[in-house]
Amino acid sequence: MAHHITVVISQGQSHHPDKRKLEEDLVSQLLLESGVELAVVPHLYDLTADGSGMLCLQGIAGDMIVLSWMYSRAARWILNRNKIQGQEGTTLLVEEIDPDEEEAQEVDQNSESMPHVIDSLEIPNRRIYCLDLRVRKLAEDYLQEIKRIVDEAKITTIEPTDWLNGQPEADHVRRLTEPLPGNVESRAAVLAAGPNNSSATHETTVIEEETARRWYPVIDMSRCTNCMECIDFCLFGVYGVDQADTILVEEPDNCRKGCPACSRVCPENAIIFPQHKSPAIAGSAGVLENLKIDLSKLFGAPEADAVDVAVRERDEQLMLVGRDAVGHDVGLERRQSEPEKTTKDDLDHLIDQLDAFDI
Amino acid sequence: MSLVFRMGEFEAIFPTDRLYAKNHMWALEHADGWRFGFAAYAVRLLQDVYFLDWEITAGMDVREGMQIGDIESSKAESSLHAPLAGKVLRINSALLKDPSAINSDKYGDGWLFEIATDTAPLLEASDYLQHLKAVWEVTQKTIKGQLNG
Repeated sequence: MAHHITVVISQGQSHHPDKRKLEEDLVSQLLLESGVELAVVPHLYDLTADGSGMLCLQGIAGDMIVLSWMYSRAARWILNRNKIQGQEGTTLLVEEIDPDEEEAQEVDQNSESMPHVIDSLEIPNRRIYCLDLRVRKLAEDYLQEIKRIVDEAKITTIEPTDWLNGQPEADHVRRLTEPLPGNVESRAAVLAAGPNNSSATHETTVIEEETARRWYPVIDMSRCTNCMECIDFCLFGVYGVDQADTILVEEPDNCRKGCPACSRVCPENAIIFPQHKSPAIAGSAGVLENLKIDLSKLFGAPEADAVDVAVRERDEQLMLVGRDAVGHDVGLERRQSEPEKTTKDDLDHLIDQLDAFDI
Repeated sequence: MSLVFRMGEFEAIFPTDRLYAKNHMWALEHADGWRFGFAAYAVRLLQDVYFLDWEITAGMDVREGMQIGDIESSKAESSLHAPLAGKVLRINSALLKDPSAINSDKYGDGWLFEIATDTAPLLEASDYLQHLKAVWEVTQKTIKGQLNG
């Protein structure tokens, strides 16, 4: 069975001629490549959950290479939130790291031992590669990497019918009859449905969805431990929980444009705002790329840790919508341990009397 | 005479002929005020200094903690803050063209500025080293926290 990889080009928001040219060069080259299918969609972050762009991406079965104008981590978790899931494919095309700075890459031992939300997710057995279109200037670099990934994937193609000669286990049968979206098995079912099935015959798809600029948090489930700090902190109703009591971004468009406050209170740095100017918040991989250490606190800058900044940002947003600033009092662990004792007023007495009726 | 503080494998040296401020600057009485520069702790964290910029000029009054400039090095960047309140007397303008004296002669030619003041919340070297022991853990956490994004 031929195994096609789908390359997705997610167009940038910018009209910068160099960026447009890079995208056009990639598209024209990829149209000539056999072995890859091509999809062109608007900027991933701007796609609405039920728009044609996301629907197109959700319909892609098998391995995907997604090129977008943001950090790989940001792209991956945007897709995940929209049920486009896969094993993380490793790309060699990453931000060039200064050899002097490589020594500084450390893994936080503590968070390795805590359970993360991703541990409980069922991820289909296809791979998703996320490439950042900002790390190289030439289309050729990306095309070479795509070819490398395509060749690598050929070696490890899963043949879903191999086991028919032997004794299938219950798990194998379930995977074929109830495939997870994106699984190779679901692609096999699609192809088996016959040539009239549109997703089997499309080689190139271009989605022309009207998009507006959006601003909302994206949760990295490989870091998230479901601690719920974010839902406690955000006073705009952006966060909620799903049926499994797992945190999710429920009302993304409630998020206040430009406000990154919740990302500062997350103890695992699991919250990404892909368009934020600070690479750490925008989803960079957390290694010392071109980041410098900020020593201001040590050199005498008045105390203002991440939580203080978050509180200030949140108060700014509250005041912008005509609500009162709350400072540190709401949604943080450092709450007052006892409610203040006030004298009872008439309303309190009335309620006491109502209680006494014992309805 | 000097005291030594270990920052990991590195031995940071602190001469006892001068006082120190909690923001990791040294202080020596000089002419009509106090002369300040970066102590070994600060220089070790910065490593090679590339760029230094002042927001203050001679004659200005500063408050303790007020931002007075910015610095950029191979490993770090930071705002600079006044170690105490007073009037700025002099700034080492040679550093503006070439800040490398901060690395090559931090306790001498690498001096930063001079301030005239009545109050001087400064520490003896031995007390400053106690302060270093207390902040070293926090410093490491701050840097690791930033590296983890």
